[in-house]
Amino acid sequence: MTQANSGFTQYKVEEYYIQDEPFYIPQSDEIDIFTAAYNEQIPILLKGPTGTGKTRFVEYMAWRLSSGVNGARPKHGSANGIPLVTVACHEDLTASDLVGRYLIDADGTRWIDGPLTRAVKAGGICYLDEIVEARKDTTVIIHSLTDHRRMLTIDKLGEVIEAADGFLMVISYNPGYQSATKDLKHSTRQRFIALEFSFPTPEIEREIIIHESGCDEQTAIQLAKLGEKVRNLGDFGLSEGASTRVLIYAGRLINEGVAPRRAAQVAVTWGITDDVQLQRSIDEVATSIFP
Amino acid sequence: MEAYDSAKATLGGRLRDNDMLAWAASGLEISGKTVRSWEAAAEYFAASPEVQRQLPSGQFIRWSAVGSRLCADSPSLAVAFFKASPGSLMRLRPRYIEDWANLGRSLYRGTWKSSTLACRYYEVTPELLEQLNFVEFTRFSEFLEALSLRSYDLASQCLNDGVDLFQNLGAERESFIAVARVLADKSWRDVRGYFTASAEALPRVDAVQRGRLLTLIRKLVQLGHGNAGEGVIAGAASLSSVPADRQSRFLELSEQLLSTAPEAVPELLRQMPAIMGRVSFNQFEEWQAEGVTAVRENLDAGLSYFRLESARSQEVLDTLASGIELTRIRDLLRTYCRALVGQSIELSPTSQIVEKNIGWVEGDLPTTEGTTIYLPAVVDRFSSKESNFSWYKVVATHQVGHIEFGSFGFDFARPSTVFEDLRPHIPVPERTRAPADPGVPGVPGAPGAVLDELPAEMQEAAKERGIEGQWLTDMGRFFDAFPDRALSHDIFTVVEDSRLDARLLHEYRGIAAAYHTVQEHSLAERPAIDELPMREAMIEFIVRLSLRQRSGLKVPRDYKKVARQIAHLVDSVATHEAIVEDSAEATLRIYGLLADVPNEEIPPDEFDDIDLDDEDEEDSAPPEDAEQYLKALQGAGDSRADGTGEMPEDETEEQGEEDYESPEDVSYRGDFKPELAQLLSQMQMSAGMMDGEPGEPLTEEQLAEMLERSTEVEGEPQEGEEGDQQAQIPEELIQNLLKELARRDPQDPQSSQGPFVHVDEDGGPLEATDERSFVYDEWDFRGGEYKPRWCLVHEKDMAEGDTTFVQETLHSHASLVRDIHRQFERMVPETFRKIKRLEDGEDHDLDAVIEHFVERRSGIQPTEKLYWQRNKVERDVAVAFLLDMSASTAEAIDETGRSDDDWGAPDDPVEYMVWLRSRRAEGLRRSYKRIVDIEKEGIVLLSNALEMLGDRFGIYGFSGYGRENVEFYIIKEMDEPYTESVPRKIDRIAPLHATRMGPAIRHTTAKLRELDAKSKVLFMITDGRPQDRGYSREGVEKEYAVHDTKQALVEARRDGIVPFCLTVDKAGHDYMKTMMEDMSYEVLHDIKLLPTRLPQLYQKLTQ
Repeated sequence: MTQANSGFTQYKVEEYYIQDEPFYIPQSDEIDIFTAAYNEQIPILLKGPTGTGKTRFVEYMAWRLSSGVNGARPKHGSANGIPLVTVACHEDLTASDLVGRYLIDADGTRWIDGPLTRAVKAGGICYLDEIVEARKDTTVIIHSLTDHRRMLTIDKLGEVIEAADGFLMVISYNPGYQSATKDLKHSTRQRFIALEFSFPTPEIEREIIIHESGCDEQTAIQLAKLGEKVRNLGDFGLSEGASTRVLIYAGRLINEGVAPRRAAQVAVTWGITDDVQLQRSIDEVATSIFP
Repeated sequence: MEAYDSAKATLGGRLRDNDMLAWAASGLEISGKTVRSWEAAAEYFAASPEVQRQLPSGQFIRWSAVGSRLCADSPSLAVAFFKASPGSLMRLRPRYIEDWANLGRSLYRGTWKSSTLACRYYEVTPELLEQLNFVEFTRFSEFLEALSLRSYDLASQCLNDGVDLFQNLGAERESFIAVARVLADKSWRDVRGYFTASAEALPRVDAVQRGRLLTLIRKLVQLGHGNAGEGVIAGAASLSSVPADRQSRFLELSEQLLSTAPEAVPELLRQMPAIMGRVSFNQFEEWQAEGVTAVRENLDAGLSYFRLESARSQEVLDTLASGIELTRIRDLLRTYCRALVGQSIELSPTSQIVEKNIGWVEGDLPTTEGTTIYLPAVVDRFSSKESNFSWYKVVATHQVGHIEFGSFGFDFARPSTVFEDLRPHIPVPERTRAPADPGVPGVPGAPGAVLDELPAEMQEAAKERGIEGQWLTDMGRFFDAFPDRALSHDIFTVVEDSRLDARLLHEYRGIAAAYHTVQEHSLAERPAIDELPMREAMIEFIVRLSLRQRSGLKVPRDYKKVARQIAHLVDSVATHEAIVEDSAEATLRIYGLLADVPNEEIPPDEFDDIDLDDEDEEDSAPPEDAEQYLKALQGAGDSRADGTGEMPEDETEEQGEEDYESPEDVSYRGDFKPELAQLLSQMQMSAGMMDGEPGEPLTEEQLAEMLERSTEVEGEPQEGEEGDQQAQIPEELIQNLLKELARRDPQDPQSSQGPFVHVDEDGGPLEATDERSFVYDEWDFRGGEYKPRWCLVHEKDMAEGDTTFVQETLHSHASLVRDIHRQFERMVPETFRKIKRLEDGEDHDLDAVIEHFVERRSGIQPTEKLYWQRNKVERDVAVAFLLDMSASTAEAIDETGRSDDDWGAPDDPVEYMVWLRSRRAEGLRRSYKRIVDIEKEGIVLLSNALEMLGDRFGIYGFSGYGRENVEFYIIKEMDEPYTESVPRKIDRIAPLHATRMGPAIRHTTAKLRELDAKSKVLFMITDGRPQDRGYSREGVEKEYAVHDTKQALVEARRDGIVPFCLTVDKAGHDYMKTMMEDMSYEVLHDIKLLPTRLPQLYQKLTQ
């Protein structure tokens, strides 16, 4: 059921297919691995710092597997393709948010499936972004879906759903970013194969920036250089390097006529750290790179 | 009587008879005064002829009478008087004779010493009068008299000094004497110092200003501020630091200050040279104006302002000063450099590499040896701060460029990108040291017979290995290919620097503007080409070329074509694609082109302008004539072998040729030593790759040989053997270099000690000795690095006392206890309680749903709030309280209005012990409260309330002495229940030793880190700045400790802990600002507020 209104399009969660090819440049063989894992129904864990393209990669794979490019037609999946259900996890996300709940209506109560249930039924990819942020009770439902059982138990309904063949759980997490207490449990992480994401090389990053921000090549080269230099500081006080995303933001601002140094400052420097000393140093790097 | 006869003979013709009679009579009178007065009479007669010539007869008689009176007091006085008379009267108006005599007379008080003084006084009068007019003379005499009341010796000394001193003084003599006069009354002991200081310092002051300065000092002395001698010296130093035309303005300002706050003037005079070292005079005026305001607001603050001790004063100076000190921007630039290279780059002032004595000698030129970038300690080249900072940045970028773009990664065998490689064709030169590998015979260029028998590839490999084995570095191998190593080295450094500049400008376009400014600035410093001998001129031409000068260049007319070819070569390397090997290839070619240029002086008119941008000129591409270039290399390697050390110039040696001198270093590029730096950075890299298998260690001989060949290290010229050009490489330098190399070798266990040796505390890392001791690193802000395993923290359980203290505290603060309880009650979260009636939540709230349906049935608009949710505001707080138990917390609090003396410890050690014992026995009966008691009260009240709140908290105390004895007392562990024993332990909290905060914070952080809590707080309560034995480096004790503490707090924050510091030190803002920077702290102005304030702060922090 798709509703097209003026200005926006509304989909049901389980009917959201990636229609157009998302822009994605592979860093290595992750596409092949993902394809193989999908065919073998092996859940996937994506690791890596923020802004290294994890979400984009899942989108790309959902599209790629659906459209069957390069003969990579997956074994599973409906004729329409593979729906992508993305849930951004946060600290108040409970199991019922994923599975579903009763709503009250005129005649009493009505059960509504949560996004995970819908993905299980529709045979889509369920992408749980930043999984460690979610409340602990979510792990229970994840476990039964990520081993040989591939089942979802809905205790409120007293039902068990066997996942459709096309269903695959993909989760992401950022090892450096969470506190030690929010680490992924071993019983959970060992149900997944892991793909590591890191920042792209300057050449690839340049391409990405050009494509995503539409800025000129020179600017993109400089932005990629800035990203590289800032990430060099990873060992020297900066907890997280500049993501490709902020570089793209900077590129877009530059496109809009913002002076490059200023764009770098608002998009990169001030965004990634509150440490005044570091900010100054990064500003100096930016002023060295941008005329 | 002889004197009488001769005098009579002379005088006979000149005096009227009755005068003559009077004269003889007074002579007789004098001689008759006392037993010894005949001496005086003799002198009288001896002096008479001279005196008589100068005086009219009336005066002459009076002179006799005066002398006669003197004689009555003391014949020796009269002797001196008469002796000095002829000389003195030449400069003394006759009417002053009597005054003069009286002045001398007044010095005499009948004692032997006073007589000596008075005699001496008459004796030097002629000399004094030569310098002084009579008024000044009188003043001086009065001063002497005043001083003689205190000390005759001192007065005599001053009299003698005065004679010498006045010679060097001018019109300011009067002021000088005036100061002396005041001193004689106010603080006569300083007189001597004043004289000495004046003799030394006054001549340095411009004569015009001396009087004014002295007047200033006189007023100071009169007001009782400052020491005159110091004042003169400081004043002289101040004035000479001020430009001549502003000196009177400076004095004017000082005079103004004198009227506002005389105390501040000596400070100003003392600090002036330092101030002028940082700012211009106009800027100083602004600083001064600010200071006057400060003084008016608060005298003490103002004084520390002029003492350059207040933060405000420093800030104003910083803002005004255009110069930049490296220390202020070091962290910034280091992070910048690290960002560019992605390696752990260090940044140090250039003096450090010079101190290491490993070959670098220039103290003010930037340089790098591959891991550390050395920059000048201060830059004040430009008039604005921004420009000076730009200079720093450009220099840092250039130096880091050596590392980023591989200047030290030169590989002899790696192909270049621009040129057809000549390097493989370089003949292998014969070396003095026969290679140990028999596979490589010592015959240059000709592979030996052994090699021939091997398969071609292996031959090649063996040859290569053997050849490489001969050199410590590829760079060294390359330079060895040239007969004139110095020349090749100079060409290479310029070309390589030029390549780097091009690369950097390509990579970092934003810095271009600043870079060009610096280049232009450097260009302006270069010597004129046409004043140099030809070969040096050609090198200078390349230097200028590399600094982007394209026109207005001069070259020797005969070598215009060569210059064009060289320019072509330099240009082809100055691209962003070129690599270090391209620089090497270009060097080979340029060397070949320059080999024919003699180093002869030629007149400037034999230089021609060359315009490189002029395209019409003939083709400038240099010939690709490998033969020619290689020919120039002949004779390489044996230059030193013959032991002369002089570069034999073969056939090209001509008459009139100058010794070749290397060009001056370009200031921003500094002292580039590719060979040494490659050696040093290679060691670091190769050692890392060897994986535990130690390579053959470098021998001292190898190193010495390399250094001897290298032109990068200047040997010490042998004194006494002038003309001997061969300089000896100092043994010390070789040893230092070996040490430096060893330090870089990561396998060497010594390397972990780091390059900075602690001055106050020697010794290396510590090891934990038992289960309850822990080692922590310490931050050295000077070196910008951690000193590994530097501090040993010993955990100790606090002994238990009784509960009286706690009970009394709770009792006496009963109302406060209730208040805190009430406050905290409001904070108690509804943990694990369901929050009902939400619009969205975990599940339906049954009551609400029933209500909903009821309402709907009855036709009312039903409620939509049907859900419940577990409370998300789970309170999950863990707090560690860290109490300062340093000795200073024993200080009493002025609660009852008692003075400190009431409890003061006796000075006598025996009494002290008694006092101490009685004080201990006194125990709780102590009638006064100490800081630590208030700290304890605060903790008691708070922990009492925290129990109710349910927050986890720990109470720790720390003290210690020295880095190996940081005591960490556990009063309550984080997870320990609040049992009876906790109050007992609180009771025993007492002042102990010093305050080394860093390790205590680190240990607390480690404890908090293990906990799983949403918010963690480290709450430190202290009474002063951190300090401990050896908690210092190079005497900057305060700074070091403050920075280490800050670093420890930053570490805590990195671990997600909120640090907070509460201090009861009223002066705490000074260092707290640095220590806490952007973290929060509070300075409590009244310690008695602590028990009240603590819970409030706690509430604020954890909410």
